[in-house]
Amino acid sequence: MDLYKELVHGKGYAVFSIENMQIFEKLRDSFIAKINISNGSEKNIDVVRKAIAKMSKAEINKSMINLLTFTNLSEMMINSCPKLVETLCGKELFIQRRAHTIINVPGEGQAKQWTHYEMISGISPYSYVIWAPLHDLEDHGGVYYIDQKESSEIMKKEEASGLVNGPMVLNMMQHQKPTRLKFGQAIIFNPFVLHGNVSFNSKFARIACNVRFQSYNEPLLQKNSDYLKYYRLP
Amino acid sequence: MTTASVTTDINIGPFKIPSNGQNMIMNNYAQRNNLVVELAIPEPLMSNALVTVQWLHNERKLSRIILCSIHQLPVSQDRIEKLLSNMEDVEFHFALEGISGKGRNFLLECIKEAKIFMNSQTIDSTKTTWLDLYNMMQKNNKK
Repeated sequence: MDLYKELVHGKGYAVFSIENMQIFEKLRDSFIAKINISNGSEKNIDVVRKAIAKMSKAEINKSMINLLTFTNLSEMMINSCPKLVETLCGKELFIQRRAHTIINVPGEGQAKQWTHYEMISGISPYSYVIWAPLHDLEDHGGVYYIDQKESSEIMKKEEASGLVNGPMVLNMMQHQKPTRLKFGQAIIFNPFVLHGNVSFNSKFARIACNVRFQSYNEPLLQKNSDYLKYYRLP
Repeated sequence: MTTASVTTDINIGPFKIPSNGQNMIMNNYAQRNNLVVELAIPEPLMSNALVTVQWLHNERKLSRIILCSIHQLPVSQDRIEKLLSNMEDVEFHFALEGISGKGRNFLLECIKEAKIFMNSQTIDSTKTTWLDLYNMMQKNNKK
Protein backbone atom coordinates (compact mmCIF):
# COMPACT_ATOMS: atom_id res chain seq x y z
CA MET A 1 0.00 0.00 0.00
CA ASP A 2 1.26 3.48 -0.86
CA LEU A 3 0.56 5.22 2.43
CA TYR A 4 0.75 8.72 0.97
CA LYS A 5 -1.84 7.91 -1.71
CA GLU A 6 -4.12 6.27 0.84
CA LEU A 7 -3.93 9.29 3.14
CA VAL A 8 -4.24 12.02 0.54
CA HIS A 9 -6.31 10.48 -2.25
CA GLY A 10 -7.76 7.31 -0.67
CA LYS A 11 -9.66 6.70 2.54
CA GLY A 12 -7.72 9.44 4.32
CA TYR A 13 -6.65 7.12 7.12
CA ALA A 14 -4.69 3.90 7.53
CA VAL A 15 -3.82 1.40 10.22
CA PHE A 16 -0.10 0.68 10.55
CA SER A 17 2.28 -1.19 12.84
CA ILE A 18 4.58 0.78 15.12
CA GLU A 19 8.15 0.46 13.77
CA ASN A 20 10.09 0.73 17.00
CA MET A 21 8.29 -1.21 19.73
CA GLN A 22 11.14 -0.66 22.17
CA ILE A 23 10.44 3.08 22.20
CA PHE A 24 6.68 2.57 22.20
CA GLU A 25 6.79 0.17 25.16
CA LYS A 26 9.00 2.67 26.96
CA LEU A 27 6.38 5.33 26.20
CA ARG A 28 3.66 3.16 27.74
CA ASP A 29 5.82 2.45 30.79
CA SER A 30 6.58 6.16 31.18
CA PHE A 31 2.84 6.87 31.13
CA ILE A 32 2.26 4.28 33.88
CA ALA A 33 5.07 5.73 35.99
CA LYS A 34 4.09 9.37 35.50
CA ILE A 35 0.34 9.08 36.03
CA ASN A 36 1.28 7.39 39.30
CA ILE A 37 -2.00 5.72 40.16
CA SER A 38 -1.07 3.42 42.99
CA ASN A 39 -3.16 0.32 43.29
CA GLY A 40 -1.08 -2.27 45.06
CA SER A 41 2.42 -3.25 44.04
CA GLU A 42 1.58 -4.48 40.54
CA LYS A 43 1.72 -1.72 37.97
CA ASN A 44 0.85 -2.49 34.40
CA ILE A 45 -1.41 -0.81 31.89
CA ASP A 46 -4.44 -2.99 32.65
CA VAL A 47 -4.14 -2.36 36.39
CA VAL A 48 -4.05 1.39 35.67
CA ARG A 49 -7.01 1.09 33.25
CA LYS A 50 -9.08 -0.82 35.78
CA ALA A 51 -8.31 1.68 38.54
CA ILE A 52 -9.19 4.64 36.29
CA ALA A 53 -12.50 3.03 35.28
CA LYS A 54 -13.59 3.26 38.93
CA MET A 55 -12.39 6.83 39.52
CA SER A 56 -14.52 9.98 39.48
CA LYS A 57 -13.98 12.55 36.75
CA ALA A 58 -12.35 14.91 39.28
CA GLU A 59 -9.96 12.17 40.42
CA ILE A 60 -9.02 11.38 36.82
CA ASN A 61 -8.39 15.06 36.03
CA LYS A 62 -6.22 15.36 39.13
CA SER A 63 -4.19 12.31 38.08
CA MET A 64 -3.79 13.65 34.57
CA ILE A 65 -2.04 16.75 35.96
CA ASN A 66 0.81 14.34 36.77
CA LEU A 67 1.23 13.90 33.01
CA LEU A 68 2.41 17.51 32.63
CA THR A 69 5.86 16.12 33.37
CA PHE A 70 5.63 13.83 30.32
CA THR A 71 7.37 16.45 28.20
CA ASN A 72 8.93 14.09 25.63
CA LEU A 73 5.75 12.23 24.66
CA SER A 74 5.65 13.88 21.21
CA GLU A 75 9.22 12.91 20.38
CA MET A 76 8.65 9.36 21.64
CA MET A 77 5.59 8.95 19.42
CA ILE A 78 7.38 10.35 16.36
CA ASN A 79 10.48 8.24 17.06
CA SER A 80 8.28 5.13 17.33
CA CYS A 81 7.57 5.40 13.59
CA PRO A 82 10.38 7.45 12.03
CA LYS A 83 10.31 5.87 8.57
CA LEU A 84 6.60 6.48 8.17
CA VAL A 85 6.97 10.11 9.29
CA GLU A 86 9.96 10.70 7.03
CA THR A 87 8.17 9.15 4.04
CA LEU A 88 5.31 11.59 4.43
CA CYS A 89 7.06 14.77 5.60
CA GLY A 90 10.82 14.47 5.32
CA LYS A 91 13.26 14.79 8.20
CA GLU A 92 12.58 18.41 9.12
CA LEU A 93 9.28 18.73 10.92
CA PHE A 94 6.97 20.80 12.98
CA ILE A 95 5.61 18.48 15.67
CA GLN A 96 3.08 19.07 18.40
CA ARG A 97 4.85 20.61 21.39
CA ARG A 98 2.87 18.47 23.82
CA ALA A 99 1.23 15.32 22.45
CA HIS A 100 -2.15 14.45 23.96
CA THR A 101 -3.02 11.56 26.21
CA ILE A 102 -6.73 10.74 26.11
CA ILE A 103 -8.49 8.68 28.74
CA ASN A 104 -12.01 7.44 28.03
CA VAL A 105 -14.06 5.93 30.81
CA PRO A 106 -16.58 3.15 30.04
CA GLY A 107 -20.31 3.42 30.60
CA GLU A 108 -23.26 5.40 29.32
CA GLY A 109 -23.24 9.07 30.23
CA GLN A 110 -19.46 9.36 30.24
CA ALA A 111 -17.85 12.12 28.19
CA LYS A 112 -17.20 11.17 24.59
CA GLN A 113 -15.70 12.99 21.65
CA TRP A 114 -18.29 14.00 19.08
CA THR A 115 -17.55 13.69 15.38
CA HIS A 116 -15.09 16.32 14.19
CA TYR A 117 -12.27 17.17 11.79
CA GLU A 118 -8.83 17.90 13.21
CA MET A 119 -8.81 20.97 10.94
CA ILE A 120 -11.23 22.78 13.24
CA SER A 121 -8.37 23.42 15.68
CA GLY A 122 -6.30 25.40 13.16
CA ILE A 123 -3.57 22.91 12.32
CA SER A 124 -2.22 23.08 8.77
CA PRO A 125 -3.98 21.11 5.99
CA TYR A 126 -0.55 19.51 5.46
CA SER A 127 -0.61 17.91 8.92
CA TYR A 128 -1.08 14.28 9.80
CA VAL A 129 -2.27 12.79 13.08
CA ILE A 130 -1.04 9.56 14.64
CA TRP A 131 -3.40 7.98 17.18
CA ALA A 132 -2.18 5.00 19.18
CA PRO A 133 -3.79 3.08 22.05
CA LEU A 134 -1.53 1.97 24.91
CA HIS A 135 -3.19 -1.49 25.03
CA ASP A 136 -5.27 -3.85 22.88
CA LEU A 137 -8.64 -2.41 21.88
CA GLU A 138 -11.03 -5.33 22.18
CA ASP A 139 -14.25 -3.37 22.68
CA HIS A 140 -15.80 -0.23 21.22
CA GLY A 141 -13.51 2.06 23.19
CA GLY A 142 -11.53 3.08 20.11
CA VAL A 143 -12.11 5.72 17.46
CA TYR A 144 -14.33 5.49 14.38
CA TYR A 145 -13.26 7.10 11.11
CA ILE A 146 -15.45 8.21 8.24
CA ASP A 147 -13.63 7.83 4.97
CA GLN A 148 -12.40 10.88 3.15
CA LYS A 149 -14.93 10.67 0.32
CA GLU A 150 -17.88 10.88 2.70
CA SER A 151 -16.10 13.34 5.02
CA SER A 152 -15.33 15.73 2.16
CA GLU A 153 -18.85 15.48 0.73
CA ILE A 154 -20.24 16.49 4.11
CA MET A 155 -17.71 19.31 4.38
CA LYS A 156 -18.74 20.63 0.95
CA LYS A 157 -22.45 20.49 1.83
CA GLU A 158 -21.81 22.26 5.13
CA GLU A 159 -19.68 24.94 3.49
CA ALA A 160 -22.45 25.60 0.97
CA SER A 161 -24.80 26.30 3.88
CA GLY A 162 -22.22 28.36 5.79
CA LEU A 163 -21.59 25.83 8.55
CA VAL A 164 -18.62 23.94 9.94
CA ASN A 165 -19.21 20.99 12.25
CA GLY A 166 -22.95 21.62 12.13
CA PRO A 167 -25.79 19.23 13.01
CA MET A 168 -25.05 16.99 10.01
CA VAL A 169 -21.64 16.20 11.52
CA LEU A 170 -22.62 16.33 15.17
CA ASN A 171 -25.43 13.83 14.65
CA MET A 172 -23.10 11.24 13.14
CA MET A 173 -22.27 9.55 16.44
CA GLN A 174 -25.06 7.00 16.09
CA HIS A 175 -24.27 3.53 14.78
CA GLN A 176 -20.54 4.09 14.42
CA LYS A 177 -18.17 1.18 14.95
CA PRO A 178 -14.74 2.11 16.30
CA THR A 179 -11.72 0.38 14.79
CA ARG A 180 -10.25 -2.47 16.85
CA LEU A 181 -6.50 -2.43 17.24
CA LYS A 182 -3.77 -4.42 18.98
CA PHE A 183 -1.14 -2.76 21.16
CA GLY A 184 1.57 -1.81 18.68
CA GLN A 185 -0.89 -0.80 15.99
CA ALA A 186 -1.82 2.80 15.34
CA ILE A 187 -3.91 4.89 12.98
CA ILE A 188 -2.64 7.77 10.90
CA PHE A 189 -5.12 10.16 9.30
CA ASN A 190 -5.34 13.46 7.49
CA PRO A 191 -7.02 16.45 9.17
CA PHE A 192 -10.13 16.33 6.94
CA VAL A 193 -11.25 12.86 8.01
CA LEU A 194 -14.23 12.94 10.36
CA HIS A 195 -13.80 10.85 13.47
CA GLY A 196 -14.99 10.49 17.05
CA ASN A 197 -15.79 7.89 19.66
CA VAL A 198 -18.87 6.35 21.24
CA SER A 199 -19.90 5.00 24.65
CA PHE A 200 -18.55 1.57 25.39
CA ASN A 201 -18.92 -1.09 28.05
CA SER A 202 -15.89 -2.53 29.75
CA LYS A 203 -14.23 -2.95 33.13
CA PHE A 204 -11.29 -1.00 31.75
CA ALA A 205 -10.77 2.62 30.73
CA ARG A 206 -9.33 3.30 27.29
CA ILE A 207 -5.99 5.11 27.15
CA ALA A 208 -4.46 6.45 23.95
CA CYS A 209 -1.98 9.07 22.77
CA ASN A 210 -2.01 11.22 19.68
CA VAL A 211 0.45 13.55 18.01
CA ARG A 212 0.20 15.96 15.08
CA PHE A 213 3.07 16.69 12.71
CA GLN A 214 3.78 18.32 9.37
CA SER A 215 6.71 19.05 7.10
CA TYR A 216 8.79 22.08 8.07
CA ASN A 217 8.65 23.05 4.39
CA GLU A 218 4.85 23.31 4.24
CA PRO A 219 2.91 26.33 5.45
CA LEU A 220 1.35 26.61 8.89
CA LEU A 221 -2.25 27.64 9.45
CA GLN A 222 -3.25 29.09 12.85
CA LYS A 223 -1.16 26.85 15.08
CA ASN A 224 2.28 28.29 15.64
CA SER A 225 4.93 28.14 18.38
CA ASP A 226 2.13 27.93 20.96
CA TYR A 227 1.33 24.42 19.72
CA LEU A 228 4.17 23.24 17.51
CA LYS A 229 7.92 22.99 17.76
CA TYR A 230 10.67 22.42 15.24
CA TYR A 231 12.00 18.86 15.27
CA ARG A 232 14.54 17.07 13.12
CA LEU A 233 14.35 13.30 12.87
CA PRO A 234 17.61 11.61 13.94
CA MET B 1 15.00 38.96 43.98
CA THR B 2 11.84 39.60 42.02
CA THR B 3 9.53 37.74 39.64
CA ALA B 4 8.15 40.04 36.95
CA SER B 5 5.68 39.67 34.13
CA VAL B 6 6.23 41.68 30.97
CA THR B 7 3.61 43.05 28.59
CA THR B 8 4.58 44.26 25.14
CA ASP B 9 3.02 45.40 21.87
CA ILE B 10 -0.26 43.75 20.87
CA ASN B 11 1.52 42.18 17.87
CA ILE B 12 3.59 39.26 19.12
CA GLY B 13 5.04 37.39 16.15
CA PRO B 14 2.07 35.61 14.58
CA PHE B 15 -0.23 36.42 17.50
CA LYS B 16 -2.29 39.50 18.32
CA ILE B 17 -2.82 39.66 22.09
CA PRO B 18 -4.00 42.79 23.92
CA SER B 19 -2.08 43.63 27.07
CA ASN B 20 -4.90 42.57 29.42
CA GLY B 21 -4.97 39.23 27.54
CA GLN B 22 -1.19 38.99 27.95
CA ASN B 23 -1.61 39.54 31.69
CA MET B 24 -4.29 36.84 31.87
CA ILE B 25 -2.03 34.37 30.07
CA MET B 26 1.00 35.15 32.23
CA ASN B 27 -0.93 35.18 35.51
CA ASN B 28 -2.50 31.84 34.66
CA TYR B 29 0.94 30.45 33.80
CA ALA B 30 2.30 31.77 37.10
CA GLN B 31 -0.53 30.18 39.05
CA ARG B 32 -0.09 26.80 37.33
CA ASN B 33 3.62 26.87 38.06
CA ASN B 34 3.39 28.15 41.66
CA LEU B 35 5.05 31.46 40.82
CA VAL B 36 4.09 34.75 42.42
CA VAL B 37 4.30 37.82 40.19
CA GLU B 38 5.61 40.78 42.18
CA LEU B 39 6.14 43.29 39.40
CA ALA B 40 4.31 43.96 36.12
CA ILE B 41 6.53 45.62 33.53
CA PRO B 42 4.96 47.37 30.54
CA GLU B 43 7.33 47.55 27.58
CA PRO B 44 6.43 50.25 25.01
CA LEU B 45 4.56 49.30 21.89
CA MET B 46 6.47 48.95 18.61
CA SER B 47 9.64 47.81 20.36
CA ASN B 48 11.01 44.36 21.07
CA ALA B 49 14.27 45.50 22.64
CA LEU B 50 13.13 44.71 26.21
CA VAL B 51 15.05 47.81 27.35
CA THR B 52 12.71 48.61 30.25
CA VAL B 53 13.13 45.07 31.58
CA GLN B 54 16.93 45.40 31.42
CA TRP B 55 16.88 48.82 33.10
CA LEU B 56 14.66 47.48 35.90
CA HIS B 57 16.89 44.45 36.29
CA ASN B 58 19.78 46.78 37.14
CA GLU B 59 17.59 48.48 39.76
CA ARG B 60 15.64 45.58 41.19
CA LYS B 61 17.72 42.47 40.41
CA LEU B 62 15.01 40.41 38.73
CA SER B 63 15.38 36.69 39.32
CA ARG B 64 12.65 35.53 36.99
CA ILE B 65 10.63 37.08 34.19
CA ILE B 66 7.52 35.79 32.48
CA LEU B 67 6.69 36.65 28.89
CA CYS B 68 3.80 35.39 26.78
CA SER B 69 5.93 34.02 23.96
CA ILE B 70 9.38 33.48 22.51
CA HIS B 71 8.25 35.91 19.78
CA GLN B 72 8.72 38.81 22.24
CA LEU B 73 12.49 38.33 22.26
CA PRO B 74 14.63 40.80 20.27
CA VAL B 75 15.39 40.12 16.64
CA SER B 76 18.38 42.31 15.80
CA GLN B 77 21.81 41.02 16.73
CA ASP B 78 22.95 44.02 18.79
CA ARG B 79 19.78 43.92 20.90
CA ILE B 80 20.13 40.17 21.37
CA GLU B 81 23.71 40.65 22.57
CA LYS B 82 22.66 43.34 25.06
CA LEU B 83 19.91 41.14 26.44
CA LEU B 84 22.24 38.14 26.72
CA SER B 85 24.96 40.04 28.51
CA ASN B 86 22.58 41.86 30.88
CA MET B 87 20.17 39.05 31.72
CA GLU B 88 22.12 35.82 31.51
CA ASP B 89 21.41 35.13 35.17
CA VAL B 90 17.64 35.63 34.92
CA GLU B 91 15.22 32.71 34.50
CA PHE B 92 12.95 33.27 31.48
CA HIS B 93 9.46 31.75 31.21
CA PHE B 94 7.42 31.73 28.00
CA ALA B 95 3.80 31.03 28.86
CA LEU B 96 2.33 30.07 25.50
CA GLU B 97 5.15 27.70 24.62
CA GLY B 98 5.27 26.43 28.20
CA ILE B 99 9.06 26.50 28.34
CA SER B 100 11.51 28.00 30.79
CA GLY B 101 15.25 28.21 31.36
CA LYS B 102 18.23 30.36 32.07
CA GLY B 103 21.45 31.42 30.37
CA ARG B 104 22.85 32.31 26.98
CA ASN B 105 22.28 28.92 25.30
CA PHE B 106 18.65 28.70 26.40
CA LEU B 107 17.85 32.20 25.16
CA LEU B 108 19.70 31.66 21.88
CA GLU B 109 17.70 28.43 21.31
CA CYS B 110 14.46 30.34 21.97
CA ILE B 111 15.48 33.13 19.57
CA LYS B 112 16.42 30.52 16.95
CA GLU B 113 13.06 28.76 17.30
CA ALA B 114 11.15 32.05 17.04
CA LYS B 115 13.09 32.80 13.85
CA ILE B 116 12.23 29.38 12.40
CA PHE B 117 8.53 30.07 12.94
CA MET B 118 8.71 33.62 11.61
CA ASN B 119 10.46 32.37 8.47
CA SER B 120 7.91 29.65 7.81
CA GLN B 121 5.07 30.22 5.40
CA THR B 122 1.61 30.72 6.85
CA ILE B 123 -1.79 30.34 5.23
CA ASP B 124 -3.96 33.38 5.94
CA SER B 125 -7.11 31.82 7.37
CA THR B 126 -9.08 35.01 6.73
CA LYS B 127 -8.52 34.63 3.00
CA THR B 128 -9.29 30.96 2.50
CA THR B 129 -12.18 28.52 2.68
CA TRP B 130 -12.56 24.96 3.90
CA LEU B 131 -12.65 23.76 0.32
CA ASP B 132 -9.47 25.69 -0.54
CA LEU B 133 -7.72 24.08 2.43
CA TYR B 134 -8.94 20.65 1.37
CA ASN B 135 -7.66 21.24 -2.16
CA MET B 136 -4.27 22.31 -0.77
CA MET B 137 -4.01 19.00 1.04
CA GLN B 138 -5.00 17.07 -2.09
CA LYS B 139 -2.41 18.87 -4.22
CA ASN B 140 0.32 18.38 -1.65
CA ASN B 141 3.49 17.03 -3.18
CA LYS B 142 5.06 14.35 -1.06
CA LYS B 143 8.30 15.58 0.55
